[in-house]
Amino acid sequence: MSDATGVENVPLSGATEDGKYVYCITRQEKPRDFGTIGIGEGANRVYTVHYRDLAAVVSDTPIVIYDPTRENVLAHEFVNETVMREWTVIPMSFGTVFRSEEDVCELLRSTYQAFSDVLDKMRDKIEFGLKVLWDRERVIATLERENDEIRRLKDEIDRNAQSSTYFARMQLGRLVEGALEDTGNAFVSDIHEALKDVAVASRSNKPIGDRMIMNAAFLVERDSERAFDEKVREISRKYEDLLTFKYTGPWPPYNFVNIKLKLERAEG
Amino acid sequence: MSLLTKLLFFPIAGPVAGIRWSLGKVQRVVEEELVDDSAVKQELMELQLLLELGDMDDAEYVRREAVLMERLREVRHWREQFGLQAPAGPVRVARGSGAGAGAGDAAEVEGPGDE
Repeated sequence: MSDATGVENVPLSGATEDGKYVYCITRQEKPRDFGTIGIGEGANRVYTVHYRDLAAVVSDTPIVIYDPTRENVLAHEFVNETVMREWTVIPMSFGTVFRSEEDVCELLRSTYQAFSDVLDKMRDKIEFGLKVLWDRERVIATLERENDEIRRLKDEIDRNAQSSTYFARMQLGRLVEGALEDTGNAFVSDIHEALKDVAVASRSNKPIGDRMIMNAAFLVERDSERAFDEKVREISRKYEDLLTFKYTGPWPPYNFVNIKLKLERAEG
Repeated sequence: MSLLTKLLFFPIAGPVAGIRWSLGKVQRVVEEELVDDSAVKQELMELQLLLELGDMDDAEYVRREAVLMERLREVRHWREQFGLQAPAGPVRVARGSGAGAGAGDAAEVEGPGDE
């Protein structure tokens, strides 16, 4: 998973090895070496850069733009997963490279209070991802059986195959579309309802592709991990005929911390 | 003189100015598309989903990922051409101007409940 060799990254003119790739911010006073699990060609050593009781988890890197290939993204995530096994982390977005160690320290120094506050809020909390996809045809088949209005109209059209009008078919199409939307919304709110008590917060992201009806992230107390797990299993069993659940984690709280770096373009 | 020029040359100057204006508009639309990486990112997420669901094999994923990476590089190239900041890349912390705390912060951090 940490194997990130042979990756083509784009070097910039005047590239040096002095850059620091930053994975996450954490609260830690003692220096720590996480071994050669870093991003980039050749396994890079992952270690901490400190300011007071804050630490940035970094590895050395030339000043390059990292393409978000699966290999690179997995390397980034692997480091964060390793660190979060022991510590509460604020994850940085993929591809964050600083020009020097001093610049990383400057980030910690000037944002010390904000990082400290968020680390307190995120203490012992982890994130889970839940993507839900549906089988549209199956849901439609269920609607045709269970929705009286749709069933009646469909029967009518089937009975008068020849004489059934274009208008009746249009009407059926619209009915099905509307019922699909209602059903999708009902599924999503039922799932959110089931997980509400075992999560601290949730965030809905835009669904990916046309089969997905829910793309959410949940912030969960470490102590509630098992309870959350069970609820997810329960709700996925309830809908196993109609819905596919993609359940991932634990992640660092990518979706619940927003770091807006005020950046200057690196010159050269 | 200028009014006379306009009157005399209107049939030529008019349409030409109009074409220049709409070319400017077309160019702006093209530029916006060239520097927008959201479509590529959306496709990348769809690709990852297909792989996760087992609807696509590894070789196919790698092949299509390479195409998307090439497109991302093109977007970065055009962003540079138009003098925009690269969506990702080498950065350094903006130093504060020495004004009070807050104004000189290198980053804003938002946790839950801050929104």
